[in-house]
Amino acid sequence: MKRYDLIVVGAGPSGLSAAIAAAGKGLKTVVFDENERPGGQLFKQIHKFFGSKEHKAKIRGFVIGQELLEEADQAGVEVVLNATVIGLYQDKEIVVRTGETVHHYKANAIIIATGASENMVTFDGWTLPGVIGAGAAQTMMNLHGVRPGKRVLMLGSGNVGLVVSFQLLQCGCEVAALVDAAPKIGGYGVHAAKVARTGVPFYLSHTIVKAEGTDHVTGVTIAEVDAHFQFIPGTEKHFDVDTICVAVGLSPMSQLLKMAGCQMEDNPKKGGQVPVCDEHGATSVPGIFVAGDVSGIEEASSAMIEGRMAGIRASEYLGYMQQEEEKSSLDQLDHALDGLRQGMFAPANRGRNITETEEGIPISENLLTHGFVAEDEIERFPGVTRSIGVHPVMECTQNIPCNPCQDACARHCIRIGEKITSLPAVNPENTCIGCGLCVASCSGQAIFLVNEQSEEGYATVTLPYEFLPLPEKGEKGVALGRDGQEVCSAQVVEVRTSPTFDKTNLLTMKVPAAFAMKARFYRKKAQ
Amino acid sequence: MESRIMEHPILGEIKKGRKVSFYFDGKKLEGYEGEPIAAALKAEGVMVHRYTSRKHLPRGIFCAIGRCTDCVMVVDGRPNIRTCVTPLKEGMKVQTQYGVSAASFKEQEEKGNEKI
Amino acid sequence: MINDRNREIGTFVPAADDDMIVCRCEEITKGEIRRAVHEGMYTITEIRRYLRCGMGLCQGQTCARLVKGIVARELKISPAQLEPASSRAPMRPTEMHILANEEKEGKRDE
Repeated sequence: MKRYDLIVVGAGPSGLSAAIAAAGKGLKTVVFDENERPGGQLFKQIHKFFGSKEHKAKIRGFVIGQELLEEADQAGVEVVLNATVIGLYQDKEIVVRTGETVHHYKANAIIIATGASENMVTFDGWTLPGVIGAGAAQTMMNLHGVRPGKRVLMLGSGNVGLVVSFQLLQCGCEVAALVDAAPKIGGYGVHAAKVARTGVPFYLSHTIVKAEGTDHVTGVTIAEVDAHFQFIPGTEKHFDVDTICVAVGLSPMSQLLKMAGCQMEDNPKKGGQVPVCDEHGATSVPGIFVAGDVSGIEEASSAMIEGRMAGIRASEYLGYMQQEEEKSSLDQLDHALDGLRQGMFAPANRGRNITETEEGIPISENLLTHGFVAEDEIERFPGVTRSIGVHPVMECTQNIPCNPCQDACARHCIRIGEKITSLPAVNPENTCIGCGLCVASCSGQAIFLVNEQSEEGYATVTLPYEFLPLPEKGEKGVALGRDGQEVCSAQVVEVRTSPTFDKTNLLTMKVPAAFAMKARFYRKKAQ
Repeated sequence: MESRIMEHPILGEIKKGRKVSFYFDGKKLEGYEGEPIAAALKAEGVMVHRYTSRKHLPRGIFCAIGRCTDCVMVVDGRPNIRTCVTPLKEGMKVQTQYGVSAASFKEQEEKGNEKI
Repeated sequence: MINDRNREIGTFVPAADDDMIVCRCEEITKGEIRRAVHEGMYTITEIRRYLRCGMGLCQGQTCARLVKGIVARELKISPAQLEPASSRAPMRPTEMHILANEEKEGKRDE
């Protein structure tokens, strides 16, 4: 039987981070993953991440994945793919299937980083081909280059539902509607807003009555639900779609830990069955640690930090690290993780009804129920100001841990301050030069450059644009409002692309001056 | 192959293996070597991978990462192959799975009757 | 408490969605699961053995949470109070010939 100092199960963001930390301390480390490719779900994440520099903010998920793989390689981590762990026993023996053979391994420490699996809901016709998980859609389009469908209905308004809806639009699918049984959108407002402004309607307090079709999905009926999630007769709406995408949350995949005899708990705040563990991932079984979604559903950014923590704990457990060194490393990581666990969406705030921002501004109700900030709400936020000349308009209205825009502006026009969750504010003393770096740096695509009077009677609006084909300079089309409805005609005056923008193109359109604070998306006029 | 994404605004050109042909229920189709069988089928417009044992209902891709096993088919004569995680190879024989067999339920029934 | 079979949970009341498939692999419906509870299957482990839901190819990946919810509702308890089914090897569906094919070289300590 082959022996290792440390066996990590799962080569996703947390597992790889754990292995890197441990191998860096000299542990002989192996990572097993049942998939053909490493990186877990990171390679399907094509959006820019939130956070600050230490959390790899504004870097796209799949790029972070590549960086992690390189780091693992340099650290001497052995990653074994197509290796399914089928058993884990108390004495840290692990049974792995590769190909047609079963292998036994033993380690002095084990880190379980198996991630999560998708939750599902049942409805009439939910087993029909064409009803898929949101993860399946991401896998098909972002890994295999195949569109999941032509016209899709998304169920679920959490970050996964919102992000995947946007990705569907990016790869050329039509999103017929975004539906959620909850009365309020669960994910980040900025993610919702970038979907809404393309014209996707949101149906909150609605859910699927049935998927239609005999051999595969040809349509879907949704209906409104009451406070007890019962359908309200007469509220049915039909959509012709060929795909229904389900994004209703994740559950920790913790069965291996239960099998190994770790003490388990059912913790709804963590997403289900999780091992009882301390804040650095030590379970009730000495030498078995956990990191990432398996110990509680969060983001990839926090999973990577948790991975490092578990790697450090395992190193200390096996004597590769002194306690003082362990403490200082963990203190640093605690600080980074605390940074991510702040704001309106912090784990501690789950289920809480928040009515005001940290600054005491009433939150946008329209954003939570329709996916966009209403015109009569937007100007109460500190990022939205009017002035002469080109200036940034930051439609960032919820306290989330993210600050790349502040660093992006070399002229210091944008101020967030010490607290990473503060809403960005315009610094009126400094002058914007219209470089657009803030627009491209915003992971939420919530920053616009506006010149309310670029010429007599006209304004220009610069917006982030991540679609193909790229509109051409001089092209005429229509400007859409935050709600995705046509507000006025528009002409493209500039399209900027640059390696520093990292695939976020800057589209500048000219609109009648009255629409400077209304026009937020561009669409080519249908032929 | 209209569901293939030729150019992606973020990912650019999607890298693929060489083009190969394979057989779906005897029909010659095309796909790229190394991509999951399910991706090739999806690109060719195939939605139904199998019909279930008990209720004879159609199933197709559901999780696409090898967990749910809904997309299993008979591949080169072996049933229950997860097409979403099995790489496509030149000349592969992929068949709709009825229960756990490539024979239709009617054929299975007739065969069963013969034995009796 | 939960395993107290004398506890009154009422009689089985048919519902409109009883035909809904819950376990996709074994094609077990919501009605079958609800009925099983009233037939005395109060734990997930019993339900699995009785109906085979969660014991098909995917090993309950998709339906475990759904089944738990249905059983809990029938027993009028919180799903958190229900013990999940036991976890045992193999964690993923593995053909018998592979399970039997243990690696020879690294010899186990006999």
